Amino acid sequence: MPTPILQVKGLRTEFLTDGGIVRAVDDVTFDLYPGETLGIVGESGSGKSVTALSLLRLVPDPGRVVGGQVLFRNEDLLQISEDDIRQIRGRDIAMIFQDPQSSLNPVLKTGFQIDEAMLAHGTPKGQAHARTIELLKKVRIPAAESRVKDFPHQLSGGMRQRAMIAMGLANTPSILIADEPTTALDVTVQAQILELLADLNRELGTAIVMITHDMGVVAGLCTRVIVMYAGQIVEEGPVEQIFDNPQHPYTWSLLRSIPRVDALRHERLRSIEGIAPDLLHPPKGCRFHPRCPFRVEKCFTDEPSLEEVAPNQKAACWVTMERARREMGADELVDIRPGAGSGVRRGELR
Amino acid sequence: MAVTVRVDAVSEPVQASLWSDAWRRLRRNRLALAAAIYLILLVGVAIVAIFYTPYRMSATGIAPDYATPSLAHWLGADNLGRDQLSRLMIGAQISLIVGVGTQLLVLAVGVPIGLLAGYYRGWLDQVVTFVINVFYGVPDLLVALILVFLLGPSLANIIIAIVVTRWMDMARLVRGQTLALREREFIEAGRASGAKPMKMLFGHIMPNALGPIIVQATFGVPSAILFEAFLSFLGAGVQQPTPSWGSMAKDGVDAIQFAPHMVIAPAIVLSLTLMAFNFLGDGLRDALDPRSRR
Amino acid sequence: MSAAITDMRSSPRPAGAKALMRVESVVKHFPAGLGQSVKAVDGVSFEVREGETLGLVGESGCGKSTLARLVTQLLPVTSGRIFYEDVELTKLRGEKLRQQRRQMQMIFQDPFASLDPRMTVGDIIAEPLDNFGVMKGRARDSRVQELLRIVGLNPNFNNRYPHEFSGGQRQRIGIARALALKPRLVVCDEAISALDVSIQAQIVNLLEDLQREFKLTYLFIAHDLSVVRHISDRVMVMYLGKIVEIADSTETYANPKHPYTKALLSAIPVPDPKIQRGRRLVELTGEIPSPLHPPSGCRFHTRCPIARVPAPCAETEPPLEEKARDHLAACHFSSDV
Repeated sequence: MPTPILQVKGLRTEFLTDGGIVRAVDDVTFDLYPGETLGIVGESGSGKSVTALSLLRLVPDPGRVVGGQVLFRNEDLLQISEDDIRQIRGRDIAMIFQDPQSSLNPVLKTGFQIDEAMLAHGTPKGQAHARTIELLKKVRIPAAESRVKDFPHQLSGGMRQRAMIAMGLANTPSILIADEPTTALDVTVQAQILELLADLNRELGTAIVMITHDMGVVAGLCTRVIVMYAGQIVEEGPVEQIFDNPQHPYTWSLLRSIPRVDALRHERLRSIEGIAPDLLHPPKGCRFHPRCPFRVEKCFTDEPSLEEVAPNQKAACWVTMERARREMGADELVDIRPGAGSGVRRGELR
Repeated sequence: MAVTVRVDAVSEPVQASLWSDAWRRLRRNRLALAAAIYLILLVGVAIVAIFYTPYRMSATGIAPDYATPSLAHWLGADNLGRDQLSRLMIGAQISLIVGVGTQLLVLAVGVPIGLLAGYYRGWLDQVVTFVINVFYGVPDLLVALILVFLLGPSLANIIIAIVVTRWMDMARLVRGQTLALREREFIEAGRASGAKPMKMLFGHIMPNALGPIIVQATFGVPSAILFEAFLSFLGAGVQQPTPSWGSMAKDGVDAIQFAPHMVIAPAIVLSLTLMAFNFLGDGLRDALDPRSRR
Repeated sequence: MSAAITDMRSSPRPAGAKALMRVESVVKHFPAGLGQSVKAVDGVSFEVREGETLGLVGESGCGKSTLARLVTQLLPVTSGRIFYEDVELTKLRGEKLRQQRRQMQMIFQDPFASLDPRMTVGDIIAEPLDNFGVMKGRARDSRVQELLRIVGLNPNFNNRYPHEFSGGQRQRIGIARALALKPRLVVCDEAISALDVSIQAQIVNLLEDLQREFKLTYLFIAHDLSVVRHISDRVMVMYLGKIVEIADSTETYANPKHPYTKALLSAIPVPDPKIQRGRRLVELTGEIPSPLHPPSGCRFHTRCPIARVPAPCAETEPPLEEKARDHLAACHFSSDV
């Protein structure tokens, strides 16, 4: 195994709200290897976006990173000075966001903004401009020379996102963090952007961290995936393994709740019961237990940690799908209510 | 029943309604709370003054002219030997009646106009906007003076004069709120479920615009009080012997060289009241701002 | 609850079935100043058959949301006719139109914005009943509780306010409201798009159950093609204000007869790495043209991989016609798709 370029250890980020402390990211640990595409997948409240923002210390008020380390080239990004982290942002680690409309300044020309990204990190002016055009070509914006002078509102959603990618890659970073970059785009445009990212990853060797809620996107673009729920990692591993043989009941349920466009027959979707966890008062024990069909007594009281359940695959679960299949008939299970598999109900949901 | 019933959990209700949430937040604002307490006391004084004042407010000569504050007359006497304190208390009634009265009328006029203009748009909106702009074009002091001159300087006419020059602010606010709210999905949903236009306006749009409306009205009270005080200062306000803080201040300014105590009491109480309404208005605006809610 | 493995889409309504709603050559143009107009819906004709779920898909600017509002007459048409059973909706005004609304209800996209934040859940659900004076007092209250139960919520929630609920629960409240008047047709305008993936499945299942229970007809508008395929009997694909294809949902996805549909299908990510890696994306050139100036002839010709210009694709607009049994498409070269 090559050495990771990024090591996140025990990351904790909290939000101070009217009602109390929200632990948006609660003890998250993972590695990122050079040139790989890592997916971080989860639904709302899972903490995936906040994790990404925490890496670059971009968490907005009232949030704060309160613990852990983010090791990049032997430095802890959480500890270095403001000046130093600013150097790293945009140069070594770049980030693109969901809504290019709000990430691009509407009153400045697009080309100028990309130039800026390079000028801020020391590229001489003449060079920057030429490189901007080169970058726009690389992200497949047609007629790059004239597009450079366009304002963001003159570009379509897809092109704005490509411009954002160009900006992100301007200083050839080793890591590109993409926070739901295609969620707001039409499906045909999304497919093109994902193809572009895959090609750029192959060509430039830039590692990509892809934050998304869409399992299809992960399946297409990523080599490894991390599944998050309620601020914690519940499963991680190579994409093929996770999709083929998910070990955490949440991952398993999630995959079964998605309608497949290539399904041969109409099967009733296996939804996940209940609602998203309240991060102000997270459930005791395993955070997924109020919605888990396979919970046992222990799940109510003890929080499971990430353990290796298969080669290169880790899950945080006391039961795991392997046991659920063996002892609870998971694959034939019709009743998906919490506890249905193991019979442990402990009172219906209120 | 063939349909599967899954009873979902709901998170603990932190507050029952948006109003109690706003109330909670208002309570935490010390300045607004102090302002509210002051105003409650002021209202108390005004109510008490209906039944009792230390002396009759119109009784002249019960103290030496321009007498300074003493045990018998806590705030001294004015140029005609009348008890300042009693007159101040009656003055409180006048100010509150003018302040609140004008705002109630402004609400009655401005809210429906704003709602109709904002909801129906088209020619109605254009006419209303035109009228509003015309009213804005005319200097309000001038209009008020002319009206009072024509109709006579009674309390009612002063209120009317103020309303005529101030209703546009409310109408414009409500129109703006309506324009924004009518695009929201729950308005579409209301139409889709068969709501009649009156129901849409008064059942859906107005309740959701209530926050800014209340804040606007709260800020409107001190504005009206000040306007009345100013009119009284110019001699076009409430006529003697009925005291108004403004006319008391005017008498006080006339005598400021040798009896400065005369102007101090009405000036201070007027300022405090204006400040209190403004702080309360600020506090209400923060408390009712839906964005600060979790 | 029946076993999970059932094929419930085995019988889409055949072509001869009764049409609950008929849309004839409906056009909606929005004036955009300077004599220009946005041609949001530009000549659309179709029918919604009783008891079916008709899916409507398309990307931004295709006009599907506008069409949803035209069908329920929340927006007036610029031209064209819409029939609900035999009543010509487009001729109705005022009170008559309002009365018609009892038959067709709508579920909206944003669970946070589609409920009046100042009303209790009970009042929100009962509003349709109140609007038509259908029930009062005890009867009204028990109907509200019944509706809450039907959508899977605790009947005691009627005194709570929308902000106390999660997105999925609010959407259930919206569904309960839509069912209050026992409508026949329910238009779901992106009803699940704003929800988390795992909650979407709950709501999809709920909608399917309700359809069976109450014999509802759905017009299901969405941009997520996987969900549309799952829930719909037939699917309509729109592009730039026109329908380009209508067919049985399995048929559409298996044998698309319009190049746009094919491109759309190739772009949907499949949550299976082995399959996803092997798929080929049909690249569309250029961008979606502006609805202010739709291209001449076939609107899709500027981006179409199989277009033959100038003739016929840039000159003649292809009619929406039957290419196979109950499978309509608007393309000059369907057989090449």
